Amino acid sequence: MLINRRKFLQQAGMAGGAIAAASVLPAAAHTAGIRRITILHTNDVHSRLDPFPMDGSRNQGMGGVTARGAVIEEIRNEGGEVLLLDAGDIFQGTPYFNMYKGEPEIKAMTMMGYDASTMGNHDFDGGLENFATQLQHAKFPILISNYEFSGTPMESKFQPYKIFQKGDLKIGVLGVGIELRGLVPENLYGKTVYTNPIEAANQSADALRKKGCDMVICLSHLGDKYDDDKISDEILAKETYDIDLIIGGHTHRFFEEPRKYRNRRGNDTIVNQVGWAGIQLGRLDYTFSGSQKKNLSNANTVVIRKKTRE
Amino acid sequence: MLRKITLFVALVFFAVSCSTSKQSISLLYKDYRIEKQTKTDSALVKMLQPYSVSMNASMNKVIGFSNDNLNKKQPESGLGNFMADAMLVMAEKKFRKKIDGAFMNDGGIRSYIPKGNITTGKIFELMPFDNLVVVQDVKGSVLQQFLDKTAADGGWPVSKGITMGIKEKKAVNISINGKPLDNNATYSIVNSDYVAGGGSDCTMLKGIPFLNRGYLLRDALIEFVSDLTKQGKPLDFTIEKRVVNVN
Repeated sequence: MLINRRKFLQQAGMAGGAIAAASVLPAAAHTAGIRRITILHTNDVHSRLDPFPMDGSRNQGMGGVTARGAVIEEIRNEGGEVLLLDAGDIFQGTPYFNMYKGEPEIKAMTMMGYDASTMGNHDFDGGLENFATQLQHAKFPILISNYEFSGTPMESKFQPYKIFQKGDLKIGVLGVGIELRGLVPENLYGKTVYTNPIEAANQSADALRKKGCDMVICLSHLGDKYDDDKISDEILAKETYDIDLIIGGHTHRFFEEPRKYRNRRGNDTIVNQVGWAGIQLGRLDYTFSGSQKKNLSNANTVVIRKKTRE
Repeated sequence: MLRKITLFVALVFFAVSCSTSKQSISLLYKDYRIEKQTKTDSALVKMLQPYSVSMNASMNKVIGFSNDNLNKKQPESGLGNFMADAMLVMAEKKFRKKIDGAFMNDGGIRSYIPKGNITTGKIFELMPFDNLVVVQDVKGSVLQQFLDKTAADGGWPVSKGITMGIKEKKAVNISINGKPLDNNATYSIVNSDYVAGGGSDCTMLKGIPFLNRGYLLRDALIEFVSDLTKQGKPLDFTIEKRVVNVN
Protein backbone atom coordinates (compact mmCIF):
# COMPACT_ATOMS: atom_id res chain seq x y z
CA MET A 1 0.00 0.00 0.00
CA LEU A 2 2.85 2.29 0.95
CA ILE A 3 4.84 1.24 -2.08
CA ASN A 4 1.86 1.78 -4.31
CA ARG A 5 1.35 5.25 -2.98
CA ARG A 6 5.00 6.09 -3.45
CA LYS A 7 4.95 4.68 -6.94
CA PHE A 8 1.89 6.72 -7.71
CA LEU A 9 3.52 9.88 -6.42
CA GLN A 10 6.67 9.22 -8.39
CA GLN A 11 4.60 8.87 -11.49
CA ALA A 12 2.67 11.94 -10.54
CA GLY A 13 5.97 13.73 -10.05
CA MET A 14 7.20 12.74 -13.46
CA ALA A 15 3.91 13.85 -14.91
CA GLY A 16 4.22 17.20 -13.19
CA GLY A 17 2.91 19.03 -16.20
CA ALA A 18 -0.20 16.90 -16.27
CA ILE A 19 -0.88 17.53 -12.58
CA ALA A 20 -0.39 21.27 -13.10
CA ALA A 21 -2.92 21.15 -15.91
CA ALA A 22 -5.33 19.20 -13.71
CA SER A 23 -5.16 21.90 -11.07
CA VAL A 24 -7.27 24.12 -13.28
CA LEU A 25 -10.01 21.71 -12.22
CA PRO A 26 -9.43 21.47 -8.47
CA ALA A 27 -12.32 19.04 -8.06
CA ALA A 28 -10.49 16.41 -10.10
CA ALA A 29 -7.49 16.64 -7.83
CA HIS A 30 -9.70 16.19 -4.74
CA THR A 31 -11.33 13.02 -5.96
CA ALA A 32 -7.89 11.53 -6.58
CA GLY A 33 -7.06 12.20 -2.91
CA ILE A 34 -4.19 14.49 -3.92
CA ARG A 35 -3.64 17.79 -2.24
CA ARG A 36 -1.61 20.54 -3.81
CA ILE A 37 -0.36 23.92 -2.75
CA THR A 38 1.78 26.39 -4.68
CA ILE A 39 4.11 28.44 -2.52
CA LEU A 40 5.52 31.58 -4.14
CA HIS A 41 8.27 33.43 -2.37
CA THR A 42 10.69 36.34 -2.41
CA ASN A 43 13.36 37.63 0.00
CA ASP A 44 15.59 40.69 0.35
CA VAL A 45 13.71 42.72 -2.26
CA HIS A 46 15.36 45.84 -0.78
CA SER A 47 13.02 48.51 -2.12
CA ARG A 48 13.63 47.37 -5.72
CA LEU A 49 10.29 48.64 -7.00
CA ASP A 50 11.59 49.43 -10.49
CA PRO A 51 13.70 47.00 -12.55
CA PHE A 52 17.47 47.55 -12.47
CA PRO A 53 18.26 50.33 -14.96
CA MET A 54 19.52 49.50 -18.47
CA ASP A 55 23.08 50.63 -17.78
CA GLY A 56 25.07 47.61 -18.93
CA SER A 57 25.25 46.17 -15.43
CA ARG A 58 24.79 42.52 -14.58
CA ASN A 59 21.16 42.75 -13.50
CA GLN A 60 19.93 45.33 -15.97
CA GLY A 61 16.22 45.10 -16.70
CA MET A 62 15.69 42.51 -13.96
CA GLY A 63 13.15 42.74 -11.16
CA GLY A 64 10.47 45.33 -10.58
CA VAL A 65 7.06 44.98 -8.99
CA THR A 66 4.99 45.56 -12.12
CA ALA A 67 6.56 42.55 -13.87
CA ARG A 68 6.51 40.43 -10.71
CA GLY A 69 2.85 41.30 -10.18
CA ALA A 70 2.05 40.10 -13.70
CA VAL A 71 3.88 36.78 -13.18
CA ILE A 72 2.07 36.21 -9.88
CA GLU A 73 -1.25 36.96 -11.54
CA GLU A 74 -0.55 34.40 -14.27
CA ILE A 75 0.22 31.75 -11.68
CA ARG A 76 -2.95 32.57 -9.73
CA ASN A 77 -4.90 32.21 -12.97
CA GLU A 78 -3.81 28.56 -13.16
CA GLY A 79 -6.49 28.14 -10.49
CA GLY A 80 -4.61 26.29 -7.74
CA GLU A 81 -4.18 27.27 -4.11
CA VAL A 82 -1.39 29.86 -3.75
CA LEU A 83 0.49 31.12 -0.70
CA LEU A 84 2.68 34.20 -1.38
CA LEU A 85 5.42 34.82 1.19
CA ASP A 86 8.43 37.05 1.83
CA ALA A 87 11.40 36.45 4.13
CA GLY A 88 12.23 40.05 5.06
CA ASP A 89 14.46 43.00 4.11
CA ILE A 90 11.58 44.57 2.26
CA PHE A 91 13.19 47.96 2.89
CA GLN A 92 16.37 49.81 1.96
CA GLY A 93 18.43 49.89 -1.20
CA THR A 94 16.89 52.35 -3.63
CA PRO A 95 16.09 56.06 -3.22
CA TYR A 96 12.43 55.07 -2.94
CA PHE A 97 13.16 54.09 0.62
CA ASN A 98 15.14 57.25 1.39
CA MET A 99 12.27 59.38 0.09
CA TYR A 100 9.12 57.49 1.09
CA LYS A 101 10.30 55.32 4.02
CA GLY A 102 8.77 52.10 2.72
CA GLU A 103 5.24 53.19 1.85
CA PRO A 104 5.25 52.14 -1.84
CA GLU A 105 7.02 48.84 -0.98
CA ILE A 106 4.28 47.84 1.47
CA LYS A 107 1.51 49.06 -0.83
CA ALA A 108 2.95 47.00 -3.72
CA MET A 109 3.12 43.84 -1.59
CA THR A 110 -0.47 44.35 -0.48
CA MET A 111 -1.59 44.76 -4.09
CA MET A 112 0.25 41.60 -5.15
CA GLY A 113 -1.64 39.77 -2.40
CA TYR A 114 1.21 38.72 -0.14
CA ASP A 115 -0.09 36.41 2.59
CA ALA A 116 2.71 37.08 5.10
CA SER A 117 6.23 38.36 5.62
CA THR A 118 8.80 38.26 8.36
CA MET A 119 11.17 41.07 9.40
CA GLY A 120 14.72 41.47 8.15
CA ASN A 121 17.43 43.53 9.81
CA HIS A 122 17.01 46.32 7.25
CA ASP A 123 13.32 46.62 8.03
CA PHE A 124 14.56 48.39 11.18
CA ASP A 125 16.43 50.99 9.08
CA GLY A 126 13.78 53.69 9.32
CA GLY A 127 13.34 52.92 13.01
CA LEU A 128 10.69 50.67 14.57
CA GLU A 129 8.20 53.53 14.73
CA ASN A 130 8.47 53.93 10.94
CA PHE A 131 8.06 50.20 10.27
CA ALA A 132 4.97 50.10 12.47
CA THR A 133 3.60 53.20 10.71
CA GLN A 134 4.12 51.75 7.21
CA LEU A 135 2.22 48.61 8.24
CA GLN A 136 -0.99 50.66 8.04
CA HIS A 137 -0.67 50.00 4.27
CA ALA A 138 -0.28 46.24 4.78
CA LYS A 139 -3.10 43.75 4.42
CA PHE A 140 -0.76 40.92 5.41
CA PRO A 141 0.71 40.05 8.81
CA ILE A 142 4.33 40.35 9.96
CA LEU A 143 5.24 36.99 11.49
CA ILE A 144 8.11 36.78 13.95
CA SER A 145 8.52 34.32 16.81
CA ASN A 146 11.87 35.33 18.29
CA TYR A 147 11.65 39.11 18.72
CA GLU A 148 9.94 40.49 21.81
CA PHE A 149 8.51 43.90 21.07
CA SER A 150 7.06 44.83 24.47
CA GLY A 151 7.25 48.58 25.02
CA THR A 152 8.03 49.29 21.34
CA PRO A 153 5.82 50.64 18.51
CA MET A 154 5.67 47.07 17.11
CA GLU A 155 4.06 45.70 20.28
CA SER A 156 0.62 45.10 18.75
CA LYS A 157 1.72 44.94 15.10
CA PHE A 158 3.08 41.41 14.76
CA GLN A 159 2.16 37.78 15.35
CA PRO A 160 4.48 34.84 16.12
CA TYR A 161 2.64 32.70 13.54
CA LYS A 162 -0.55 32.40 11.53
CA ILE A 163 -2.62 29.57 10.11
CA PHE A 164 -3.83 29.80 6.50
CA GLN A 165 -6.67 27.62 5.26
CA LYS A 166 -5.97 26.85 1.60
CA GLY A 167 -8.58 24.53 0.13
CA ASP A 168 -8.71 21.64 2.58
CA LEU A 169 -5.12 22.23 3.64
CA LYS A 170 -4.23 23.97 6.85
CA ILE A 171 -0.84 25.67 6.48
CA GLY A 172 0.94 27.11 9.50
CA VAL A 173 3.45 29.90 8.88
CA LEU A 174 5.88 31.33 11.42
CA GLY A 175 8.84 33.69 11.20
CA VAL A 176 12.30 34.07 12.73
CA GLY A 177 14.76 36.97 12.62
CA ILE A 178 18.49 37.39 12.94
CA GLU A 179 20.49 38.55 15.99
CA LEU A 180 20.26 42.35 16.05
CA ARG A 181 23.20 43.22 18.29
CA GLY A 182 26.28 44.08 16.21
CA LEU A 183 24.17 44.18 13.03
CA VAL A 184 21.48 46.80 13.56
CA PRO A 185 22.32 50.08 15.33
CA GLU A 186 20.92 50.04 18.86
CA ASN A 187 19.01 53.28 18.41
CA LEU A 188 17.01 51.59 15.63
CA TYR A 189 15.99 48.37 17.35
CA GLY A 190 15.49 50.03 20.73
CA LYS A 191 13.82 47.76 23.26
CA THR A 192 13.42 44.84 20.86
CA VAL A 193 14.64 41.64 22.52
CA TYR A 194 16.11 38.88 20.35
CA THR A 195 15.61 35.33 21.62
CA ASN A 196 17.01 32.02 20.37
CA PRO A 197 15.41 31.42 16.94
CA ILE A 198 15.64 27.63 17.11
CA GLU A 199 13.79 27.42 20.42
CA ALA A 200 11.24 30.01 19.31
CA ALA A 201 10.72 28.32 15.93
CA ASN A 202 10.33 24.88 17.50
CA GLN A 203 7.79 26.23 20.00
CA SER A 204 5.74 27.94 17.30
CA ALA A 205 5.96 24.91 15.00
CA ASP A 206 4.83 22.65 17.85
CA ALA A 207 1.87 24.93 18.53
CA LEU A 208 0.96 24.95 14.83
CA ARG A 209 1.17 21.16 14.63
CA LYS A 210 -1.04 20.80 17.71
CA LYS A 211 -3.56 23.11 16.08
CA GLY A 212 -3.77 20.57 13.27
CA CYS A 213 -1.65 22.14 10.56
CA ASP A 214 -0.91 19.88 7.62
CA MET A 215 2.27 21.74 6.83
CA VAL A 216 4.50 24.15 8.75
CA ILE A 217 6.51 26.85 6.95
CA CYS A 218 9.14 29.04 8.58
CA LEU A 219 10.00 32.43 7.08
CA SER A 220 13.59 33.04 8.10
CA HIS A 221 15.93 35.98 7.89
CA LEU A 222 18.79 34.04 9.53
CA GLY A 223 20.85 33.39 6.39
CA ASP A 224 21.32 30.03 4.65
CA LYS A 225 24.67 28.97 6.19
CA TYR A 226 27.94 30.30 7.54
CA ASP A 227 31.56 29.19 7.93
CA ASP A 228 31.27 29.41 11.71
CA ASP A 229 28.58 28.20 14.12
CA LYS A 230 26.33 31.26 13.66
CA ILE A 231 22.70 30.17 13.61
CA SER A 232 21.54 29.61 10.02
CA ASP A 233 18.75 27.95 8.07
CA GLU A 234 20.97 24.89 7.76
CA ILE A 235 21.28 24.61 11.55
CA LEU A 236 17.59 25.38 12.06
CA ALA A 237 16.61 22.71 9.51
CA LYS A 238 18.62 20.05 11.33
CA GLU A 239 17.40 21.14 14.77
CA THR A 240 13.72 21.42 13.99
CA TYR A 241 11.03 18.85 14.75
CA ASP A 242 8.02 20.13 12.89
CA ILE A 243 9.08 22.59 10.20
CA ASP A 244 8.59 21.23 6.69
CA LEU A 245 9.88 24.19 4.74
CA ILE A 246 12.14 27.15 5.48
CA ILE A 247 11.87 30.15 3.16
CA GLY A 248 15.17 31.90 3.76
CA GLY A 249 16.85 35.24 3.15
CA HIS A 250 19.56 37.63 4.34
CA THR A 251 22.49 35.98 2.52
CA HIS A 252 21.14 36.95 -0.93
CA ARG A 253 21.83 33.43 -2.21
CA PHE A 254 20.39 32.17 -5.48
CA PHE A 255 19.84 28.47 -4.80
CA GLU A 256 20.32 26.14 -7.77
CA GLU A 257 17.60 23.98 -6.25
CA PRO A 258 15.92 23.66 -2.85
CA ARG A 259 18.17 22.09 -0.20
CA LYS A 260 17.06 19.08 1.79
CA TYR A 261 18.05 18.32 5.38
CA ARG A 262 17.17 15.56 7.80
CA ASN A 263 15.48 17.06 10.85
CA ARG A 264 15.19 15.87 14.48
CA ARG A 265 12.36 13.50 13.63
CA GLY A 266 14.33 12.00 10.76
CA ASN A 267 12.06 13.69 8.25
CA ASP A 268 12.97 16.04 5.45
CA THR A 269 13.06 19.78 5.99
CA ILE A 270 13.47 21.81 2.81
CA VAL A 271 15.24 25.19 2.57
CA ASN A 272 14.97 27.57 -0.36
CA GLN A 273 16.12 31.13 -1.09
CA VAL A 274 15.86 33.25 -4.25
CA GLY A 275 18.72 35.76 -4.18
CA TRP A 276 17.57 39.34 -3.74
CA ALA A 277 16.05 42.46 -5.32
CA GLY A 278 13.06 40.60 -6.73
CA ILE A 279 15.24 39.25 -9.56
CA GLN A 280 13.57 35.89 -9.03
CA LEU A 281 10.26 34.64 -7.76
CA GLY A 282 10.51 31.17 -6.23
CA ARG A 283 7.79 28.62 -6.85
CA LEU A 284 7.37 25.41 -4.87
CA ASP A 285 4.49 23.11 -5.85
CA TYR A 286 3.84 20.65 -3.04
CA THR A 287 1.77 17.58 -3.80
CA PHE A 288 0.94 15.16 -1.05
CA SER A 289 -1.19 12.10 -0.87
CA GLY A 290 -4.49 11.84 0.95
CA SER A 291 -3.64 9.21 3.54
CA GLN A 292 -5.38 8.94 6.92
CA LYS A 293 -2.88 11.33 8.39
CA LYS A 294 -2.63 14.57 6.52
CA ASN A 295 0.27 15.69 8.63
CA LEU A 296 3.26 16.57 6.47
CA SER A 297 5.61 15.81 9.32
CA ASN A 298 4.69 12.20 8.71
CA ALA A 299 6.60 12.31 5.47
CA ASN A 300 10.06 10.88 5.75
CA THR A 301 11.04 11.84 2.25
CA VAL A 302 10.34 14.69 -0.05
CA VAL A 303 11.05 13.97 -3.69
CA ILE A 304 12.29 17.18 -5.28
CA ARG A 305 12.17 17.77 -9.00
CA LYS A 306 12.51 20.77 -11.24
CA LYS A 307 9.25 21.88 -12.76
CA THR A 308 10.02 21.75 -16.43
CA ARG A 309 6.65 22.32 -18.02
CA GLU A 310 3.73 24.60 -17.31
CA MET B 1 -14.87 -16.29 16.05
CA LEU B 2 -13.06 -16.42 12.76
CA ARG B 3 -14.73 -13.14 11.88
CA LYS B 4 -13.53 -11.62 15.16
CA ILE B 5 -9.94 -12.72 14.50
CA THR B 6 -10.10 -11.36 11.00
CA LEU B 7 -11.40 -8.10 12.36
CA PHE B 8 -8.65 -8.06 14.99
CA VAL B 9 -5.95 -8.73 12.40
CA ALA B 10 -7.42 -6.06 10.18
CA LEU B 11 -7.41 -3.60 13.07
CA VAL B 12 -3.80 -4.43 13.96
CA PHE B 13 -2.81 -4.07 10.34
CA PHE B 14 -4.62 -0.76 10.17
CA ALA B 15 -2.99 0.50 13.37
CA VAL B 16 0.49 -0.57 12.29
CA SER B 17 0.15 0.82 8.81
CA CYS B 18 -1.22 4.01 10.26
CA SER B 19 1.67 4.60 12.62
CA THR B 20 4.42 3.49 10.30
CA SER B 21 3.18 4.65 6.95
CA LYS B 22 4.93 7.81 6.11
CA GLN B 23 3.51 10.15 3.58
CA SER B 24 5.54 10.77 0.50
CA ILE B 25 5.65 14.26 -0.76
CA SER B 26 6.60 15.47 -4.17
CA LEU B 27 7.96 18.94 -4.61
CA LEU B 28 8.30 20.65 -7.96
CA TYR B 29 10.35 23.82 -7.94
CA LYS B 30 10.74 26.57 -10.46
CA ASP B 31 12.47 29.95 -10.40
CA TYR B 32 10.91 32.73 -12.42
CA ARG B 33 13.38 35.32 -13.65
CA ILE B 34 11.57 38.62 -13.36
CA GLU B 35 12.57 40.46 -16.52
CA LYS B 36 11.34 43.27 -18.66
CA GLN B 37 8.37 41.75 -20.38
CA THR B 38 5.36 42.69 -22.36
CA LYS B 39 3.09 42.05 -19.42
CA THR B 40 3.05 44.40 -16.48
CA ASP B 41 0.45 44.79 -13.78
CA SER B 42 -1.36 48.02 -14.66
CA ALA B 43 -2.66 48.63 -11.12
CA LEU B 44 0.91 48.49 -9.79
CA VAL B 45 2.15 50.78 -12.57
CA LYS B 46 -0.52 53.29 -11.58
CA MET B 47 0.24 53.03 -7.86
CA LEU B 48 3.98 53.52 -8.40
CA GLN B 49 3.82 56.36 -10.89
CA PRO B 50 3.47 59.39 -8.59
CA TYR B 51 6.26 58.08 -6.36
CA SER B 52 8.66 57.47 -9.25
CA VAL B 53 8.00 60.80 -11.02
CA SER B 54 8.86 62.73 -7.90
CA MET B 55 11.82 60.50 -7.06
CA ASN B 56 13.35 60.64 -10.54
CA ALA B 57 13.13 64.42 -10.54
CA SER B 58 15.60 64.55 -7.67
CA MET B 59 17.65 61.43 -8.40
CA ASN B 60 18.41 61.77 -12.12
CA LYS B 61 20.79 64.72 -11.71
CA VAL B 62 24.18 63.89 -13.27
CA ILE B 63 27.03 64.72 -10.88
CA GLY B 64 30.00 63.00 -12.54
CA PHE B 65 31.38 60.41 -14.93
CA SER B 66 33.01 57.04 -14.33
CA ASN B 67 35.65 55.68 -16.73
CA ASP B 68 34.77 52.14 -15.85
CA ASN B 69 32.17 49.78 -14.40
CA LEU B 70 32.93 49.65 -10.69
CA ASN B 71 31.73 46.54 -8.89
CA LYS B 72 32.05 45.21 -5.38
CA LYS B 73 34.78 42.60 -4.97
CA GLN B 74 37.04 41.17 -2.26
CA PRO B 75 39.77 41.50 -1.16
CA GLU B 76 39.95 44.78 -3.12
CA SER B 77 37.91 46.65 -5.74
CA GLY B 78 38.02 49.94 -7.60
CA LEU B 79 34.60 50.65 -6.15
CA GLY B 80 35.84 50.14 -2.59
CA ASN B 81 38.94 52.24 -3.23
CA PHE B 82 36.74 55.08 -4.48
CA MET B 83 34.57 54.92 -1.37
CA ALA B 84 37.45 54.69 1.13
CA ASP B 85 39.36 57.51 -0.59
CA ALA B 86 36.26 59.71 -0.70
CA MET B 87 35.82 59.16 3.05
CA LEU B 88 39.45 60.06 3.73
CA VAL B 89 39.56 63.15 1.51
CA MET B 90 36.20 64.53 2.62
CA ALA B 91 36.84 63.80 6.33
CA GLU B 92 40.14 65.70 6.18
CA LYS B 93 38.24 68.66 4.69
CA LYS B 94 35.30 68.47 7.05
CA PHE B 95 37.21 67.79 10.27
CA ARG B 96 40.33 69.84 9.29
CA LYS B 97 42.46 67.03 10.59
CA LYS B 98 45.15 64.71 9.20
CA ILE B 99 43.65 61.25 8.78
CA ASP B 100 45.77 58.10 8.68
CA GLY B 101 43.23 55.81 7.11
CA ALA B 102 39.60 55.41 6.11
CA PHE B 103 37.68 52.16 5.89
CA MET B 104 34.45 50.98 4.34
CA ASN B 105 32.67 47.93 5.62
CA ASP B 106 32.26 45.51 2.75
CA GLY B 107 28.67 44.69 3.72
CA GLY B 108 27.82 48.39 3.56
CA ILE B 109 28.55 48.59 -0.18
CA ARG B 110 25.05 48.11 -1.54
CA SER B 111 25.36 48.68 -5.26
CA TYR B 112 27.74 49.52 -8.11
CA ILE B 113 28.77 52.43 -10.33
CA PRO B 114 28.23 51.82 -14.05
CA LYS B 115 30.57 53.21 -16.68
CA GLY B 116 29.29 56.59 -17.82
CA ASN B 117 27.26 59.27 -16.12
CA ILE B 118 26.93 59.09 -12.34
CA THR B 119 23.59 60.32 -11.00
CA THR B 120 22.67 61.26 -7.45
CA GLY B 121 20.40 58.21 -7.46
CA LYS B 122 23.37 55.91 -8.12
CA ILE B 123 25.11 57.21 -5.01
CA PHE B 124 21.91 56.72 -3.02
CA GLU B 125 21.83 53.08 -4.13
CA LEU B 126 25.51 52.65 -3.34
CA MET B 127 25.06 54.13 0.14
CA PRO B 128 21.38 54.02 1.03
CA PHE B 129 22.00 54.17 4.78
CA ASP B 130 22.04 57.43 6.64
CA ASN B 131 25.45 56.58 8.10
CA LEU B 132 27.74 59.37 9.26
CA VAL B 133 31.46 59.90 8.67
CA VAL B 134 33.21 59.89 12.06
CA VAL B 135 36.82 60.03 13.25
CA GLN B 136 38.35 57.97 16.05
CA ASP B 137 41.84 58.11 17.55
CA VAL B 138 42.88 54.53 18.20
CA LYS B 139 45.98 52.70 19.42
CA GLY B 140 47.94 50.73 16.84
CA SER B 141 47.04 47.54 18.69
CA VAL B 142 43.33 48.33 18.30
CA LEU B 143 43.85 49.13 14.62
CA GLN B 144 45.53 45.72 14.27
CA GLN B 145 42.45 44.02 15.81
CA PHE B 146 40.19 46.00 13.54
CA LEU B 147 42.20 45.08 10.43
CA ASP B 148 42.20 41.44 11.56
CA LYS B 149 38.42 41.62 11.59
CA THR B 150 38.39 43.03 8.02
CA ALA B 151 40.79 40.26 6.99
CA ALA B 152 38.56 37.58 8.52
CA ASP B 153 35.72 39.05 6.47
CA GLY B 154 37.72 38.59 3.27
CA GLY B 155 38.98 42.17 3.01
CA TRP B 156 37.37 45.59 3.40
CA PRO B 157 38.20 48.64 1.32
CA VAL B 158 41.04 50.75 2.74
CA SER B 159 42.10 54.25 1.70
CA LYS B 160 45.19 55.17 -0.31
CA GLY B 161 48.35 54.92 1.77
CA ILE B 162 47.39 51.69 3.50
CA THR B 163 48.49 48.28 2.27
CA MET B 164 48.01 44.92 3.93
CA GLY B 165 47.96 41.22 3.28
CA ILE B 166 45.42 38.63 4.42
CA LYS B 167 46.88 35.42 5.75
CA GLU B 168 44.85 32.81 7.60
CA LYS B 169 42.13 35.40 8.27
CA LYS B 170 44.61 37.81 9.89
CA ALA B 171 45.98 41.15 8.67
CA VAL B 172 49.72 40.92 7.93
CA ASN B 173 52.44 43.21 6.47
CA ILE B 174 50.37 46.26 7.39
CA SER B 175 51.87 49.49 6.11
CA ILE B 176 50.45 52.94 6.86
CA ASN B 177 51.80 55.80 4.79
CA GLY B 178 55.00 53.90 4.15
CA LYS B 179 55.60 52.74 7.74
CA PRO B 180 54.76 49.42 9.38
CA LEU B 181 51.88 49.48 11.85
CA ASP B 182 53.15 50.47 15.31
CA ASN B 183 51.11 48.92 18.11
CA ASN B 184 51.94 51.78 20.48
CA ALA B 185 51.31 54.68 18.10
CA THR B 186 47.97 56.51 17.87
CA TYR B 187 46.15 56.65 14.54
CA SER B 188 43.29 58.87 13.40
CA ILE B 189 40.92 56.65 11.47
CA VAL B 190 37.65 57.25 9.65
CA ASN B 191 34.73 54.87 9.63
CA SER B 192 30.96 55.13 9.42
CA ASP B 193 29.33 55.76 12.79
CA TYR B 194 27.84 52.28 12.38
CA VAL B 195 31.25 50.57 12.35
CA ALA B 196 32.79 52.97 14.90
CA GLY B 197 29.91 52.12 17.24
CA GLY B 198 30.68 48.40 17.06
CA GLY B 199 28.53 47.46 14.05
CA SER B 200 29.55 44.60 11.71
CA ASP B 201 30.94 42.98 14.87
CA CYS B 202 33.65 45.63 15.28
CA THR B 203 33.51 45.35 19.05
CA MET B 204 37.13 46.59 19.37
CA LEU B 205 35.97 50.07 18.27
CA LYS B 206 32.89 50.22 20.49
CA GLY B 207 33.21 52.72 23.32
CA ILE B 208 36.11 54.64 21.75
CA PRO B 209 34.90 58.28 21.51
CA PHE B 210 34.44 59.66 18.02
CA LEU B 211 34.25 63.07 16.36
CA ASN B 212 30.91 63.54 14.68
CA ARG B 213 29.84 66.52 12.57
CA GLY B 214 26.56 64.96 11.40
CA TYR B 215 28.21 64.49 7.98
CA LEU B 216 26.43 61.80 5.97
CA LEU B 217 28.69 59.26 4.27
CA ARG B 218 26.44 59.55 1.22
CA ASP B 219 26.99 63.32 1.12
CA ALA B 220 30.75 62.72 1.35
CA LEU B 221 30.53 60.46 -1.76
CA ILE B 222 28.36 62.96 -3.64
CA GLU B 223 30.66 65.89 -2.78
CA PHE B 224 33.80 63.91 -3.66
CA VAL B 225 32.40 63.07 -7.12
CA SER B 226 31.12 66.63 -7.62
CA ASP B 227 34.56 68.05 -6.69
CA LEU B 228 36.26 65.79 -9.25
CA THR B 229 33.76 66.93 -11.89
CA LYS B 230 34.46 70.58 -11.07
CA GLN B 231 38.15 69.86 -11.68
CA GLY B 232 37.23 68.30 -15.01
CA LYS B 233 38.21 64.82 -13.81
CA PRO B 234 36.29 61.57 -14.19
CA LEU B 235 36.08 58.86 -11.54
CA ASP B 236 39.07 56.65 -12.32
CA PHE B 237 39.58 53.87 -9.80
CA THR B 238 41.02 50.42 -10.13
CA ILE B 239 42.72 47.87 -7.89
CA GLU B 240 46.29 48.66 -6.90
CA LYS B 241 47.29 45.93 -4.42
CA ARG B 242 46.09 47.76 -1.33
CA VAL B 243 44.70 44.51 0.08
CA VAL B 244 46.04 41.18 -1.18
CA ASN B 245 45.66 37.55 -0.19
CA VAL B 246 48.97 36.06 0.99
CA ASN B 247 49.56 32.36 0.88
